[in-house]
Amino acid sequence: MSIEVIKPGLLSNLVASGRAGFRYLGVGPCGAMDSFAMKTSNYLVGNNGDATTLEMNFPAPELLFQEDQFVSLTGRGFQVYINENTFSSGKPLLVKKGEVMRFEKVEAGSRAYLAVHGGWKAQEWLGSFTTHLGVKAGGYMGRVLQKGDVLQTNGLFQQINETKALSWGISKNELDKIYFPSNEIRIISCVETDLLSKESKESLLTVEFRITGQSNRMGFRLEGKKLVLNESIELISSPVDFGTIQLLPDGNLIILMADHQTTGGYPRVASVIKPDLPKLAQMSPNDKINFRLISLDEAEGEFQLREKLLTELKQACLTQYKNYFKV
Amino acid sequence: MRKNYSVTPLNESAALVSFGNVIDEAVNQKVISLHKFLAYKPFKGFVESAPAYSSLAVFYNPIEAIQSDTKIKSSFDFVKNYLENALTNLPQAEELKENQVIGIPVLYDGEDLQFVANLHQLTLDEVIAIHTSKTYRVFMVGFLPGFPYMGTVDERVATPRKNSPRTSVPAGSVGIAGYQTGIYPQTSPGGWQLIGRTPFKIFDKEKSSPCLLNPGDSIRFYAVGKKDFETLNEY
Repeated sequence: MSIEVIKPGLLSNLVASGRAGFRYLGVGPCGAMDSFAMKTSNYLVGNNGDATTLEMNFPAPELLFQEDQFVSLTGRGFQVYINENTFSSGKPLLVKKGEVMRFEKVEAGSRAYLAVHGGWKAQEWLGSFTTHLGVKAGGYMGRVLQKGDVLQTNGLFQQINETKALSWGISKNELDKIYFPSNEIRIISCVETDLLSKESKESLLTVEFRITGQSNRMGFRLEGKKLVLNESIELISSPVDFGTIQLLPDGNLIILMADHQTTGGYPRVASVIKPDLPKLAQMSPNDKINFRLISLDEAEGEFQLREKLLTELKQACLTQYKNYFKV
Repeated sequence: MRKNYSVTPLNESAALVSFGNVIDEAVNQKVISLHKFLAYKPFKGFVESAPAYSSLAVFYNPIEAIQSDTKIKSSFDFVKNYLENALTNLPQAEELKENQVIGIPVLYDGEDLQFVANLHQLTLDEVIAIHTSKTYRVFMVGFLPGFPYMGTVDERVATPRKNSPRTSVPAGSVGIAGYQTGIYPQTSPGGWQLIGRTPFKIFDKEKSSPCLLNPGDSIRFYAVGKKDFETLNEY
């Protein structure tokens, strides 16, 4: 036994690295909305970045620890409560058996990732442990958590003396590199960018867009100025990806998110660069977005920088973990 | 050879090879040949490729892709080069290969069968005869996990999508949208004109290869009665 779900929260689901190799059958990768938070949460408890974590939204779940555990919480907007004690996110936590963990919203942000040493036990489907909510496969029985569910862990953890936060963590300085400036999302040109009218191309980069309430794990719908093409065109279905920005027939934009369909027939007018997807994933309805266009070369450079940062964080966390637990 | 395709970034970790905005068997064969070639001879950093009607998305890790060629500065340029070479050297024989035809039983009792018949001034039996008279190609699988886009449908039964989609279409429903025909792998919202349903599970998540139909396959529908439908029913 490990932890019991006392309150399920909204859309709490187990996520791991995405499913690769099945887009040709219409099965997309899925995986974490904020992969930076997922990976760093794992690093903090001595895991590989791709171990299964619990993705949570607001309202957040309440969890009863049935065993001593070594966990960590990352993401934006969440603060941990154990009894009346608060713990900020971004640090590893030792939690005693019998404790109840709950969460409150303390700042901007919408998702958090609870990692456990060894990773949460999950069902594998097509080579990945991440939940596919559409097919109802992978993760925890292919679904979001419900009251009474019991999550098991893959690793055993030693007994601990008291509930407390450990000293290491992800610094604010590092987090700012990922999540600030908070409204700016960098994009590069995509396959059908040149079909946009000259005026619409300008609007895309100058107008402030608002995320609407019709937004979920599949896509974020935006409202701002309506954009138009030079001439109307009927496109046949073609591949899309996490971060692809499509122009809908009504002139509004949609940004495809982690649970996107594999193909689509709407013009792909821009792509959010991969390093800015975690920032985007932390936004909520009514948040504002300003797009900034960068070149493909710059985007490749940013991609490399992000991977370098993740490698450094992984090394740093692992060293701290080994020193503390003498392993 | 004249270059009849383009390679453009879908994003910084995916390239899109496009052969134009067409529904054409020869073009689609090229797409699928390239897809298969990449599985057989991947470049360093290759993750997966996804074929559609006339385009192929090639997903890669830009850091690994650049490491294998120090002369090239951009990962995209490296991948583009590799794809252009691959397209020049694609085996031509592949394009001529005849597929085995997969038979799909259909009980033609769809809610829109009468609408399709009325639109084209045909009897129900004529619609069924026309729909079952052709061998269809699976151009791509997309939209939903396991949804096969097949065609092309005879113009005598080709029918535009419904103006307002149904909120729930049962798994196994066989539909027509323009010159395309398809099968719903799971119960989902959908706007295709429903003409019947197949008792075959075309998507089964419990199987290691969950899809009955793959891109490039050839299929033929055949009509069955209610009794045979029940005998064959896999749902």
